[in-house]
Formats: sequence, structure tokens, C-alpha cells
Amino acid sequence: MSGNGQKWVGKAVPRKEEERLLRGLGKFADDIKLHETLYLRFVRSPYAHAKIANISTAEAEKIPGVVCTLTGAEIASQTQPFIEIAPDAGGKIRDYPLAVSKVRYQGEPVAAVVAMSAAIADDGAEAVQVDYEALDPVVDAEQALTDASILHEDAGTNKVWNGVFEYGDVEKAFREAASVVEIDRMHFHRFSSTPLENNVVIGQWDPKDERIYYWCNNSFPSFAIQFLAAHLNVHIDRIRVQTFDIGGSFGIKITSYPQMAVCALASKKAGGRPIKWVETRSEHMTSSAHGNERTFRDTRVALDENGVITALTSRHIDDCGAYPRYEPLGCVIWSQVFPGVYRFKNARIDFSQAVTNKCPVGPNRGYSRMQHLWFLERVVDICAHELGIPADEMRLRNYIRPQEFPYTTPNGCVYDSGNYPKMLDLAKGLIGWDAWKKKQAEARKQGRMVGIGIGTTLDSGTNNFGQSQIVNPGAPFSGNSQGANCKLDIYGEVVVAVGSCPQGQGHETTAAQVVADVLNITPDLVTVRTGFDTERNVHTGFSGTYASQFAVSGLSAVHGAAQKLKAEMIRLGAHVLESKPEDLDFGIGGQGPEIRSKSNGKSINYWGLANIVNVNSAVLPPELYEVTLNCRYIWRAPFKVPDIKKKYGNLTMTYASQLHIAVVEVDRDTLIPKILDYVAIDDCGTVINPPIVEGQVYGATAHGIGAALLENCVYDEVGNMLTSTFSDYIPITAMNMPNVKYGHIETPSPHSYSGAKGMGEGGAAPIHTISAALQDALFDKGVFIQDSFNNADSLFRALHGEIGQTAKLVKVERRVGSKA
Amino acid sequence: MYPRPFHYHRAGSLPEAATMLSQLGDDAKLLAGGQSLIPLMKLRFANPSHLVDLNFVPGTSYINEQNGAVRFGALTRHSEIENSSIGVRFPILHDCAAGIADVQIRNRGTIGGSLAEADPSGDWAAVLLTQKTEIWCLSPRRERSVPLTDFITDAYTTVLEHDELVREISVEVPGKGTGGAYLAFKRSAPVYPTASAAVQITMEGDICKDAHLVLGCVGLVPVRATAAADALRDRRIDDKSVAAAMDAVREAVDPQADMRGSAEYKRTLAAALVKRAIEVAVRRARGERVEVSHIYA
Ligand SMILES: Cc1cc2nc3c(=O)[nH]c(=O)nc-3n(C[C@H](O)[C@H](O)[C@H](O)COP(=O)(O)OP(=O)(O)OC[C@H]3O[C@@H](n4cnc5c(N)ncnc54)[C@H](O)[C@@H]3O)c2cc1C
Repeated sequence: MSGNGQKWVGKAVPRKEEERLLRGLGKFADDIKLHETLYLRFVRSPYAHAKIANISTAEAEKIPGVVCTLTGAEIASQTQPFIEIAPDAGGKIRDYPLAVSKVRYQGEPVAAVVAMSAAIADDGAEAVQVDYEALDPVVDAEQALTDASILHEDAGTNKVWNGVFEYGDVEKAFREAASVVEIDRMHFHRFSSTPLENNVVIGQWDPKDERIYYWCNNSFPSFAIQFLAAHLNVHIDRIRVQTFDIGGSFGIKITSYPQMAVCALASKKAGGRPIKWVETRSEHMTSSAHGNERTFRDTRVALDENGVITALTSRHIDDCGAYPRYEPLGCVIWSQVFPGVYRFKNARIDFSQAVTNKCPVGPNRGYSRMQHLWFLERVVDICAHELGIPADEMRLRNYIRPQEFPYTTPNGCVYDSGNYPKMLDLAKGLIGWDAWKKKQAEARKQGRMVGIGIGTTLDSGTNNFGQSQIVNPGAPFSGNSQGANCKLDIYGEVVVAVGSCPQGQGHETTAAQVVADVLNITPDLVTVRTGFDTERNVHTGFSGTYASQFAVSGLSAVHGAAQKLKAEMIRLGAHVLESKPEDLDFGIGGQGPEIRSKSNGKSINYWGLANIVNVNSAVLPPELYEVTLNCRYIWRAPFKVPDIKKKYGNLTMTYASQLHIAVVEVDRDTLIPKILDYVAIDDCGTVINPPIVEGQVYGATAHGIGAALLENCVYDEVGNMLTSTFSDYIPITAMNMPNVKYGHIETPSPHSYSGAKGMGEGGAAPIHTISAALQDALFDKGVFIQDSFNNADSLFRALHGEIGQTAKLVKVERRVGSKA
Repeated sequence: MYPRPFHYHRAGSLPEAATMLSQLGDDAKLLAGGQSLIPLMKLRFANPSHLVDLNFVPGTSYINEQNGAVRFGALTRHSEIENSSIGVRFPILHDCAAGIADVQIRNRGTIGGSLAEADPSGDWAAVLLTQKTEIWCLSPRRERSVPLTDFITDAYTTVLEHDELVREISVEVPGKGTGGAYLAFKRSAPVYPTASAAVQITMEGDICKDAHLVLGCVGLVPVRATAAADALRDRRIDDKSVAAAMDAVREAVDPQADMRGSAEYKRTLAAALVKRAIEVAVRRARGERVEVSHIYA
């Protein structure tokens, strides 16, 4: 009998989905062809900020094959504005899926054209005439906060949210500091994720049953339907959403609900025919969602005589683009990693968010935490340089110590486990730290600019949605949950369904590993149904794939459902095999997976068990009628609602950590930064499937290197987006990638049943690491790496004194008694 | 992302294509590899009413050597040049062909289309301007050859008349003692370079007897840096003469600021690329086999 107690969790089980996806057999939203489908194209604003004086759709409607058009005014008359998560002024913003009376970013949809083919829809969109009256655009968040030009008159201000996060005794720490470092301004740039597959929506408002059907690639459907139901005045349970294979999301596909709304309304107008919208790349770049941009002002850092940071104050301004949408959740989500990996206890951060005339933001891999982690890493690094403390030493002095876990942060988050010094050691070993230090010293003598940088980051996973109440006390969310179903199907196939919608994370494989372990069978005997479907009955209000949580929430739900199924199988098996429950063994026999009795040698396979319940039920005694072998389980995260006033509480369950080291040379002639060596160390607790974890690390590393050196969403001063194609926005490719040396340690999480931690986002470690390496290379040239995006051109300007001058931006006050 | 409606015509021969152009009028365009034209049509920046497809005309894709010149059929794909043996003896051609965009684009894009498009960032024009290059053109009225130096007159503009097409490109094979190299900085494979430098140098012992330097992407047309060539001619190639050439390059170029970089940076970059291209060209002139690749960010 195989299935002899071998455990699958932790094994390099090949991905079940690989065959399908690599052979081009995947099924994506655009592969869905429905009878009588119509095609939708948006008419988009060329202006960043303008009044809509007039829209004329008459010419478009004359084109043969155009079925109908839709405008913002038409939509506003039959819908509610989308829910705003912000309280107060920010909550008064009226957000419709098509601009109603004014446009607020270049690329904002103002009308839609529905036609018999996508090409005709394009012709129709071109024929729609819109007259605009230009208004003053605001493209900078700090400027937006002056309210000189207001985006949303209903709100009366561009400030979406403001709050002060203060812990410990900041004033005392500054009074007692041995040195104080002040940094005027730092900036985390806007970039996005460029998934291979753009957004796709097929929407149908079916008049036969007054239900709305979606076939799409939204990556957080249970969130989307909450927004859609309120907007469309439809009961949420009448909306069905299905997702299929998804070609990447990285969070960016969470906020496709406005386009989903337009497709439903267009379908209604077109008599209930399905409406398909397939986003173009330029549309994706200008108007899907970008990552959050953030400016850090007036940062002050107090340090003791050993260079240990004792306090920090700073003012952070987040730029959420034209409409908040998922925001202002980002205004609290960063505080999941409030002190980063560091021990300081006293801090005050004044956090604001502003709307600007740019594409709305959406959660983007590393969402809201990476901006803050980058800020902290810059602070640590610049303090180290100013005080003459080596980067590795500075970190060791400031890291949370291994013995301090579980560690409660100043704002009440509980870091489950970790060992940062050990990761640093491993990384230094892999990269050959001492050898590189020597080479660096030699290179410097020749006038070469070589830097070595460390980035230490966290990937916090499985949110406590109660943190939404910190931004809005009225928000009706808290905790976190996920559903799963595990069953023996009618004829005994083991089938698992989960409320996630994977985009390459290998959920089919890891879920099968978990179930295989519970039933002592092999993963290939477990069928996993992934892809979201409201009709599958396994979703909760938090279901979807986002925020690094499947390993914890998804697999805990799968594990719970499998345990429940196993308990039912034991009850049934004990009856059928005339044995005591404790005498039953699970495994694989000659006729497939089975239960057998140790006491009498009898066995029954899964077909037999399912047969009794489903087609041979007369043999069942009534006390076993409740056995269905079809078990639904809802896992709930053991969270409490945070203290809203103090902004205190545990905001996430697990904290995976990453430590990267990069050696970067800035070429003296071309100023092109080149990565000479790169190490990525990951700790995500107990590893469920090593190659899947390694794949996520490489992916996140590539994404981060791209963000640090190539990928930048640029607007000119009047709000024209200058990077709307892949000629100007440069997603990283294999040609730009260095060889990455990978290593990992495991500090099992005490918070998850398996010891695993969520790890899909990777903390954007390369951005911090490359900034640090560039800082190291250029510090003695008087350059301060002030921005998270650096390329040959910006380094050229920094070296020519145009930007990033340490003398202007950084001040150090050394007090008596300071050794540094 | 769909072009406006257009009529499609398939030419059977080059003279027929030229005749079609003259009959269909100004609104007709030739289709070669489509790697410039089709993206513009999909963005609706170019909206021709008629396309005359050259891809089915036999005998338009070839590389052969005759009377000391290499001749390329107008529809010879970048990848065919990249993979042909000509690159071994004439390495600057390989530097160019192998560095254009990515495999898919090289498999479709043609040398004739690239020169006819006269994109300020196109690689072929910059490289071939360091050589003795003739463009053979055909219209319903005549056949003529135009030196490449006269062929491109402005950004996206050539001497071609509306119903005139490129039939062949002929490049004189450089003699002994001369070497060329082409280097570009590209942020990634499928984007045009930020700047590029093509250099052809003839050496006699340690002395540079002749030099041609052309910079790409830093002007409306490729910039022929004659003063930079003068700084090298009849001199030793050493730090001093190279520095003088670099200074002359910085003077000669006229870059525009865009997403690839500021104008000032591009000046510096063009000079740095020239320095490296000179190094490689000199080694090749001495008979060394040197493989180069563009610099990728
Ligand atoms: C993403 C991308 C990246 C690119 N990167 C680079 C790069 O790095 N470097 C580079 O040099 N190029 C690059 N290209 C352009 C590519 O090299 C094209 O192949 C080339 O510019 C045009 O050649 P084609 O055969 O595709 O011409 P087409 O697109 O078919 O035609 C271009 C123009 O030339 C005309 N034309 C074509 N053939 C003839 C002819 N025989 N006689 C007269 N007129 C003619 C057409 O009517 C049209 O106006 C890139 C293209 C893309 C899409």
C-alpha cells in the first residue's frame, strides 16, 4: 500500500497547472466566447483635468455595426456613485465608472461604444465627439494639498485622509539623542505591474433572471461585487463572478470593478447581450491602476551614541491619483510594518493622502508597505553613512533580535518569527562580502563607482481587515476569512475548491499537497478547482488572491475542510468496516485510495464510500444521514478589532522577511548602473513547496529590480502620461536580469497551522537594496539617493549637482558624547 | 488597437508595386515587414487607405557579393543579415542586425523598410552612413541609385517619390586594415536605443588613416560627426585623440530630451559609446575578431 505516511507538504511537487499553462492550454477570460457577444471600447480623455462641455455620440451611432453608446451622464442617472472607503471629506467624492461632468486624469473613460466587433467599436469610439474646457491640472501630491485647484468639488479638498501615528516618547528620545539626522525630502516613485494579460471583462445583465454575470480576470472578486452591488442597485447575491486562469495581477486587477460596471450597464442597454471588453496595453498603462507614489518630508531621526535609532518623526504624503477606489486603505496598511525590521520604539508619522490628476492607484505587489520599508531602509542607510557606521553593522545594531520573537511593535503588531542577523550572515556568505569589500576598495582607487547595498524587508501577509476602521471608524470590516470545500464527489473523486483566483502562484499544487497529507494519498489523486466562482459556495467577503495570504488563509481553509471530510469518512468507514474509528488507516490500496481496518483487514475504497452516500443510501443507518462527504469549511483569522483611537493592534498574521544584497557599479562614462552581483535570501517560515517559493522570490526580485532601474510612470507638468507604451515604460526582461543567488532560512510561524507565512509580494526588497548600493557608490560624491527610481539619466543629473545633493537635503547634528 | 479600414493589394513584382502606388495615389503605402507601419496603424497614427504588400514578391530578399559590394534585397529581414556569413567579414553589419529589437521583430522587419522609414532612432541608417552605401530605387518612370548620404533628408523623410520604392541596398566591402563597430545603449531589447555610435576606421600601423563616425538617436537624422573623424585622422589612436573625438561628438549631436534621457545625458552617452566603438573598430582593423553586444540597462 503506497501513501504510506509520506508527507507532501514541504516537497518539491511539480506544479499541477504547469502542463496546461506551458502548453498554451490555459483558459483565460478572453478565451471565453459567448453567443451574441458585443464588444466595448472606451472613449478616453486626452486631458488630465477638464470640464466636459459636450459629448456627441450621434456620429458613432450611425456607423453600421455600432449597437449603442453609453455616457457618464446616462450612467449617473441610473446608479449610485461607488462606495468610498474614506470618511469625512474624502468620503464625499463621487466616483462613477465614466466621467460625468469633468475628467480628472488623462485616459479617464468618458463614454463607451458597443459594437458587433472590436474593430467597429474602435471606429465608433473615434467618432464620438467630446468638447472639453481645460482646467488647471495638479500632478504633485504636496501641491494638491494646497487645494489651489480642486479635483472633486463635492469633497471641497484634495486631501483624502490624514492621521497621526504616534507611539512612545518621541520628545524625550530626541532630547537624549547623541546625534540627530534630518532629511528634507525623499520620494517613492509610481510604477505598475504590467501583467502579461491585461484586464478583461465579459459582463451580462440577463433580463431572463435579472442577474448579472461576469466572466473576467478580477483578482479580488468578493471585494469587487461589494462595490458593484451598491453602485448598480442590485442585491450582491444576484451577481455571479467567475474567473479562470489569470495571466498575472500583482494586485493591479483588484480595481477593475468600474469597467465591470460599464459592461453590465452596456449589456442592459443592449438587451442583455454579453459585452466583452479587452483592455489594450496603452489603456492598461494609462488607466487601469498604478502603484502608490509617496513623498517623505521633514524626516528627523534620533540616534544614541552607538548609532542605534531611538526615535523617528516624519511627514508622509501618499498620492492616490484621481480617485481613491481601494484607498485610503493604504493609509493604514503601511503601518503593518511600522518599524520595519528595526527596534526603535518612539515614532511619530503624520500621514496624508491626496488626489492628483493622474491614474488612480490600486494595490500593487508590496502595496503600501514597500514605500514605507524603502523609507526606513533609506533612513537607516543614510544615518549609517553620515555616522560612518558600516551598513551591515548598522543593521545588526538596529535589527529586532531573534530572541525577541514574537515581537510586539510599537503599534501593536505581532511579528510572529524571524532571524534577520542569520539572514544577513547567509547573504554575506553567498555574495562573498569580504571579497567584494576588497574589490570595491581597489575599484575606488581607480575612480570607479562601486557600491554594496543591503535591503531588509518584510512581507506581511493575511490582513486584519479591522485596520480599515483606523481609516474609517464606520467601516464594517474586521478579521479575515477564507472558504474551502473538500469532498468525495458522487463517484469518489477527491475534489477541493477554494475561494482564491491564482495568477501563477500554484494553488492547485499546494492545495493538493495539503489534502494529500490529510488523507495519506498522493497529490495527483486530488482535483483542485481554482478560479473564483460565486456559485461554488466557497467564498467569503475576503476571498480572492491578494496580499500574500494563500499559504495561511487559503491552505488553512483547505486543511480545515479536508479534516472535516476525513472525520466524516471515519464515521462512515467505521460503520461499513465494522471497526472502531481508531482502527482505521487511510492510504492507497489496489483499488485506489481507501480506508482499511487494522483490526479485521477489511477495506473500502473512495468509490465505495461515495457510492453508499449518493447512490446506495438504503444501506445507511439514519444516524449517518448527516454524512455528506461534501464538507465546507470557513477559516477565520484569530484577530481582534484594533484600538482605533490609539491606532494600536495586530494588523497581520505572518511576517515573511527578505534580505537582499546587491553590488552595483555606475559606469564612469555612460553612468549606466550595472548589477555586478546579487543575493536574495527569503524566510517565509515552513516552506510548502520549495520551487514555488523560489519562483515567487525570482519573480518578486525581477519586479523589484525593474522598479528600481527601469519602470517609472511619468507625467509631464500638465498631466500627460509619457509612459503609455512599452517603448517608454520598460518592463524588465531577461536581458536586464542579473544572475540571482538564492538562499533561504526557515523560522516557522507560530501563528499559522503549518508554520508557513504568506510570501507572494517579496517586500520590494530590490528597490531598497539597489538604492542602498547606489548610495554606497555615490555617497563620497555628495549624492543622496533621494528617489526609489534611478537610471543612468538621473544618476547623471545627480552627479552634475542637479538633484539629490546631500549637502542640501541631509543635515546631521552631533551632540556632546556622541562617539560617531 | 485596430486600424481604420483599408484596402489590401498584393504586388506580384516590384514594378507592379510601383505602378499600384502611382495608381492608388497618396493614400497608398507599401507594406514590408510591417514593424513600423502596423503599430502606427493600430494606434491610428497612420491611416493609409491602401496597403501594397511587398511580402509576396519573389526575389526581394537576398544577400550577395558582387564587384566588391554587398547587395541586400529591400525585403531582406534583419534576422537574415544577423545569421548570414557576411557578418563574419563585415562585423559592423552583424552588430547592427543582431541588436535590433527582439527576435520576432528581427524576423519580420526589413532593411529596406528601415531605411525608407528613416526613423531618427533606426539602426541601419546610422551604421550604413559609415560605409559607402547606395540605395537603388524604382518608380514606374525610372530606376536610379542614390547615395545614402543624400537619401534621408529629415526625420521620417527620404528622397523617395510617392510611387518610388527601394529595390536594393548596396554597400561597398571595406578593404584591408579597416574595421567597424556599432554600439548602442538600450533600456531593453524591444525598444529603440537611447543613443548609438557607428564607427569605421582605417589604420596604417598605429596611425588612423581614415575615420567615419555616425551617431544615432541624437538628432532628426543620424549625425555624421565629421569633426570627430578629423580629430582621429592621421593621428595615433590614443587617450588624447579619442578625448578630442569625444568632445567633437558632444558638440555635433543635437539630442532631444525624452523618456530615454535628458539632452545633456545623451551627449555624454553618445561620446562614451563612440569611445568604446573606436576601441573595437581599431582592434577589428588590426584583424582581431571581436564580438560586441549593445549595452542593456
Ligand atoms: C517594438 C519595436 C522595436 C523596434 N526596435 C528597433 C530598433 O531597436 N532599431 C531599429 O532600427 N528598428 C527597430 N524597430 C523597427 C524595425 O526595425 C522595423 O522593421 C523597421 O523600422 C521598418 O521595417 P519594416 O520592414 O518593418 O517596414 P514597414 O513597417 O513595413 O514599413 C515602414 C515604412 O517604410 C515603407 N517601406 C517599406 N518598405 C519599403 C520599400 N522597399 N521601399 C519604399 N518604402 C518602403 C512603408 O511604406 C512604411 O511607410 C522596432 C520595431 C518595433 C515594433
